[in-house]
Formats: sequence, structure tokens, C-alpha cells
Amino acid sequence: MRFRSLIAFTFAAALPAASALADVSGKDIYAKTCSVCHATGIASAPRYGHAGDWSPRLAGGSARLYANALKGTAKGMPPKGGNPAYSDAEIKAAVDHMLAAVKDAAKPATPPKPAAKDAEPKAAAPVAAAPAATPAPAAAPVATVATADALPAGDVNAFNRLLKPVGRRNPPPPEDGIHDPGNDGTHALLPPLTAYAGLPKSFAGNRVNWVEAIGTKKINPRWDRADPAAEPVVMDLNIVREVKGSMPDVVYPHKQHTEWLDCSNCHPAIFIPQKGANAISMASILLGEKCGVCHGKVAFPVSECRLCHSKKKDLARPAQTAAGAAK
Amino acid sequence: MKLAGALFAAVIMALVAVPAAAEYADVVLNKRSEKEGVRPVVFPHWFHRIRFQCRVCHHELGFKMRVGANDVTMNEISEGKFCGACHNGDIAWGADRCDLCHSGKPGLPTGIFGGHETGGPGRW
Ligand code: HEC
Ligand code: HEC
Ligand code: HEC
Ligand code: HEC
Ligand code: HEC
Ligand code: HEC
Ligand code: HEC
Repeated sequence: MRFRSLIAFTFAAALPAASALADVSGKDIYAKTCSVCHATGIASAPRYGHAGDWSPRLAGGSARLYANALKGTAKGMPPKGGNPAYSDAEIKAAVDHMLAAVKDAAKPATPPKPAAKDAEPKAAAPVAAAPAATPAPAAAPVATVATADALPAGDVNAFNRLLKPVGRRNPPPPEDGIHDPGNDGTHALLPPLTAYAGLPKSFAGNRVNWVEAIGTKKINPRWDRADPAAEPVVMDLNIVREVKGSMPDVVYPHKQHTEWLDCSNCHPAIFIPQKGANAISMASILLGEKCGVCHGKVAFPVSECRLCHSKKKDLARPAQTAAGAAK
Repeated sequence: MKLAGALFAAVIMALVAVPAAAEYADVVLNKRSEKEGVRPVVFPHWFHRIRFQCRVCHHELGFKMRVGANDVTMNEISEGKFCGACHNGDIAWGADRCDLCHSGKPGLPTGIFGGHETGGPGRW
């Protein structure tokens, strides 16, 4: 049971898990590319599964939506979601996948709306796990809408609707949804929490503060494959990148990076080694470029704004005060 | 500030609304495995970064920092390339322990798992 709900749970995570269903490619593309913005409405992108966000757009007909998804819009939708490698048909499949989740947008009836909102957490709830036969993953958002009526009303107002309980973080390999529990080797693997027991904690990613772990010698990762004594070439050079607006400036520290990385990991493929020579923006980071090559995938994720935006601004500048007063 | 706040909220939402059970930065390698009749490979970043700096794999051993960009075959592994540079019975257990690497659920696509927040391969 636990296992099945985990599968459902992983699905909710938009992992295109074992599924051979019709809309799989649209779903994959959505999960890989579009969800970056459309899962949560970054830059006011219409949110997946939120009928209210889509109904005004649907008024213009789906042909217009396809066209805008392919060509992009001035208000922030990048052409093909920023990935020209996709074919037109693939983008259309992704749009179809997004529209399928808000099929009911036209009908303003009350039940579907909260249900659509709850689709994700419910996947982890026992009810979602109950429909026995292999839960059809591709259809899940819609399917959950259908079964949602059966949910006890109390569940809807559970205290934490979306926050992941501590117990569900860093699960051991047989329960993490990507390892095959039927494989003997899986059970020989180390559970992450065992490894992290003595390490300093953080609030995101692996929930390990890797910078502190290496700084306090709690871990001593090798700099060289075979020689445990080799010392890294650490370079202590901070680059301050001024940010327009009220967000604190970004301090890019070479020290913390050269403790892990070689210069050639970043220079020149990702960054030209010259202060200010690289155009960096949050959008490019979220798309997995620049700092987003590592941050949000292996190094600490983008949600930890303060680790990068760490230099308070001098808010006395006139333009800033005006903006500040307006708030 | 409002915009930053909204963006902040959005990203926090991304964190929680897209829960993933897999450990952050786990990589599934399945370009050939399943076609050749073995389970996909699961590569745990967290486990290896406790023991090695990124540079060892991504500079010394030449793993490109992009999921799916490395063409790994068992032949090369036995010749001491890629995973085989360490999984050679010398630095770490050898390539005969198939089920420790080929431990993924059948059907998983090549990709990074565990709730990544930034875009994927081919995006940069
Ligand atoms: C970088 C963020 C971002 C990514 C990635 C992204 N979108 Fe969007 N999308 C937006 C924004 C912002 C809007 C709202 C734009 C507007 O109102 O003109 C939008 C709007 C749309 C619309 C509605 C267009 C309309 O005419 O109302 C569709 C359809 C759409 N996106 C599809 C997709 C698909 C399919 C993908 C993946 C291949 C994708 N988007 C990836 C940001 C993004
Ligand atoms: C730089 C050296 C190095 C490389 C390259 C490397 N590994 Fe490892 N790996 C290790 C070491 C050291 C261990 C720990 C061995 C031990 O426990 O005896 C390990 C352990 C593992 C484990 C077991 C983790 C556990 O829970 O005990 C797996 C799975 C694994 N490696 C997979 C891979 C795969 C797949 C690749 C190639 C994509 C790879 N490794 C490349 C050094 C390496
Ligand atoms: C994690 C990525 C990363 C690594 C690793 C890295 N750098 Fe940089 N480097 C940057 C960034 C980002 C900038 C700032 C570029 C900008 O402002 O546009 C930069 C800037 C520079 C500059 C220009 C400084 C100036 O004031 O103009 C030099 C020189 C430099 N790096 C050298 C190195 C050397 C030497 C190493 C290895 C010891 C190294 N970098 C490792 C990311 C990195
Ligand atoms: C090649 C990979 C890579 C790139 C590119 C990269 N980083 Fe990092 N960064 C790391 C790693 C690895 C760490 C160590 C901490 C961790 O893994 O969570 C780190 C740590 C940091 C820290 C230290 C946090 C602390 O607690 O002291 C800051 C700040 C940071 N990065 C900012 C940036 C910024 C800003 C950029 C873009 C200009 C950037 N990074 C690009 C890999 C990268
Ligand atoms: C990995 C480091 C990193 C993290 C984490 C990060 N930022 Fe940024 N941010 C940057 C960099 C680098 C820039 C570009 C600065 C410049 O213009 O040179 C930037 C720019 C910005 C800008 C200016 C507009 C733009 O898109 O360029 C805003 C607003 C912003 N960030 C908000 C945020 C918020 C809110 C968060 C937390 C949810 C966040 N950032 C997390 C590195 C980061
Ligand atoms: C150190 C980790 C590791 C071990 C141990 C390992 N493999 Fe692999 N294997 C890989 C990786 C990585 C790939 C490439 C995965 C991909 O892209 O699909 C691979 C690919 C394969 C492939 C498909 C590609 C090809 O070369 O034909 C087969 C078949 C295979 N492994 C069989 C085995 C068998 C049998 C064993 C035990 C004798 C084994 N592997 C042990 C990591 C490992
Ligand atoms: C033991 C070897 C090893 C170590 C150490 C290692 N990596 Fe990796 N990394 C890999 C492998 C293998 C892949 C998958 C490559 C592929 O799919 O072809 C990968 C992929 C990546 C990717 C691409 C993710 C994506 O979605 O495209 C990034 C970014 C990355 N690593 C960053 C790091 C950082 C940062 C560190 C240090 C904290 C690190 N790696 C340490 C082996 C390693």
C-alpha cells in the first residue's frame, strides 16, 4: 500500500514514470519544460490545473493557444517554451496535456475547482491509492478530479495541504520511486538519511549544507580520483552583480565553487571570465542556464534566494526611495 | 519587493507543489540499458559528492554536465572509463556488481530526479 501511494506520489511529482499512455509525450514535455513556469505560475503564466487561469484564454479558441505556445508572446511565454528542439506537434501535445487538466474550465460548477487544486496532495492520500488496478498515470490529474467527490470533507482542510512532511523527505532507496524494490541490490544501497546524520542541515535540496560540511571538514571529498591527499586550488574572489529593483545584489563567491569545481567547469562554456561580461537573469537560471546549470539540479536550489542575493542594497538612492515610498 | 515576493512565493510553491520522493540530484541513465535488457542505472550524486568533488567526474573523467550527454557503454566501463574509472575493484567495488548500479525501475527515462527546480538537458 505504502508503495503504491508512493508511485502515485511520484507521479504527482510530474516524473514521467513508467507509463505508455497516449498523452505521454505531451506529458513528458510538460514535466520537463513547461512546468518550470506553468506549475506555479511564474511570471503569471497560466497555472496547470487551474481552470480560472485558463478560461479567459480558452475563449480565443485552442488554435490561438497553439500559435502562442509555438511563437511565444510578449508577456513572457518563450517560443516553444524556450526549447526550439521540440517539433510543432510536440508543443501542441504539451498544450493538449495542459488543457486536459482544465477540461472543466468552461463549466463553473463548484466541485471540480477545489478538486483540481487538490489533485496533487490527494495523490498521496489513501483514497487516491485505493482504485486498485495500476493507477493510469497519464490520466491522473483528471482521474483525481473524478474521484475527489468521494474524499472526506475533512481532508480538504488538512492543516498542511502541500508541505511535505519530514518523514517523506530523503526516503531510503527501495521507497524513493525510482529504484526497483524487486532488485536485490536496491536493498544494499545506503539510505540518504543515514549518510546525512552527522552533516550540517539546510532547508532545501538534499537538506544538507554542503558548503558548511566541507568547510568544517565533516566531509572531505577527494580533489583527485585516486590521491586522497591532493589539495584543491581554491580561489577567493567575490563578484558582485548588481540587481535592478529591490532584490539584494548577488554575490558570486569563487571560494565556495572552487572547493568543488574546476575553473573549466564554468569557464568559458558557461561564463566568460570577465566581470559583467555575462548576461544573467532569473529567467535563464530557471531555464537551467548560467547558475541554473548546477543550482536547482545538484547544488542548492533556486528557492534559497538569500544565499545568492546576499548583499543588502543601499536603499538611499533616489529612485529606490520613490519606489519604496509607493509601497 | 512585491514582484520579488511573488517570485519567491512561486518558487517556494514549486518546491512543495512538485514533491518528489527520489533524492535530490539522483540521475537515471537509460539510453541503452533497457534496450539491452537490463534495468536502468541510478546514479546518486549525493553519495558520490560526499567522497569526490564535482571536478573529479566533470573535469578529470570528462562526464559532461548534462544529463544524457554522455554515451556510456559497459565496454568502456570495463576499460576503466566513466564509472569504470573508480568501479574497478580498486577505488570502489567492481563492475561485476550489476544490481547495485542497474537498480532503477523499468520504464524510467534518462533524466535528473528528486525535485529539480531548473530546466533540463538541452536547455542551455
Ligand atoms: C519561462 C517560463 C515559461 C515556460 C518555460 C513556458 N511558458 Fe507558457 N507561458 C508563460 C507565460 C509567462 C505565459 C503568459 C503569457 C501571456 O499572457 O501572453 C504563458 C502562456 C502560455 C500559453 C497560453 C498562451 C495564450 O495565448 O494565452 C500556453 C498555451 C503556453 N504558455 C504553453 C506552454 C507550453 C506548451 C510550454 C512548454 C513547451 C510552455 N508554455 C513553457 C511562461 C512560460
Ligand atoms: C570518482 C570515482 C567514482 C566514479 C566515477 C563513480 N563512482 Fe560510484 N562509487 C564510488 C565510490 C568510492 C563508492 C563507494 C564504494 C564502497 O562503498 O565501497 C561508490 C558507490 C556507488 C554506488 C553505491 C552507493 C551506495 O548506496 O552504497 C552506486 C550505485 C554507484 N557508485 C554508481 C555509480 C555509477 C552508476 C557511476 C557512473 C555513472 C559511478 N558510480 C561512478 C566512486 C565512483
Ligand atoms: C561555478 C562557476 C565558476 C567557477 C568554477 C570558476 N568561476 Fe570564475 N567566474 C564565474 C562567474 C559567474 C564570474 C563572473 C562573470 C560575470 O560577472 O559576468 C567569474 C569571473 C571570473 C574572472 C573575472 C574577474 C573580474 O574581476 O573580471 C576571473 C579572472 C575568473 N572568474 C577566474 C576563475 C578561475 C581562475 C577559476 C578556477 C580557480 C574560476 N574562475 C572558477 C564562475 C566561475
Ligand atoms: C558548475 C556548477 C555551478 C554553477 C554554474 C554555479 N554554482 Fe554556485 N555552487 C555550486 C556548488 C556545487 C556549490 C556548493 C553548495 C551546494 O552544492 O549546495 C555552490 C555554492 C554556491 C554559493 C555558496 C552558498 C553558501 O552557503 O555559502 C553561492 C552564493 C552560489 N553557489 C552562487 C552561485 C551563483 C550566483 C552562480 C551563477 C553566477 C552559481 N552559483 C553558479 C555549483 C555551481
Ligand atoms: C543561484 C543563485 C541565485 C538564486 C538562488 C536566486 N537568484 Fe535571483 N539572480 C541571480 C543572478 C545571478 C541574477 C542576475 C543579476 C544580474 O543582473 O547580474 C539574479 C537576478 C534576480 C532578479 C532581477 C531580475 C532578473 O530576472 O534578472 C530578481 C528579481 C531575482 N533575482 C529574484 C530572485 C528571487 C525572488 C529568488 C528566490 C526565489 C532568487 N532570485 C534566487 C542569482 C540567484
Ligand atoms: C558502476 C556501475 C555499473 C555496474 C556495476 C554495471 N553497469 Fe551496466 N551500465 C552502467 C551505465 C552507467 C550504463 C549506461 C546506461 C545507459 O545509458 O543506459 C550501463 C549500460 C549497460 C548495458 C547497455 C549498454 C551496453 O554496453 O550494452 C548493459 C547490457 C549493461 N550495462 C549490463 C551490465 C551487466 C551485465 C553488469 C554486471 C556484470 C553491469 N552492467 C554492471 C553502469 C554499470
Ligand atoms: C562520481 C561522479 C560524479 C560526481 C562526483 C559529480 N557528478 Fe554530476 N554527474 C555525474 C553523472 C554520471 C551525470 C549524468 C551524466 C549523463 O547523464 O550523461 C552527472 C550530471 C550532472 C549534471 C547535469 C544535470 C542535468 O539535469 O543535466 C550537473 C549539473 C551535475 N552533474 C553537477 C554536479 C555537481 C555540481 C557536482 C559536485 C557537487 C557533481 N555533479 C558531482 C557524475 C558525477
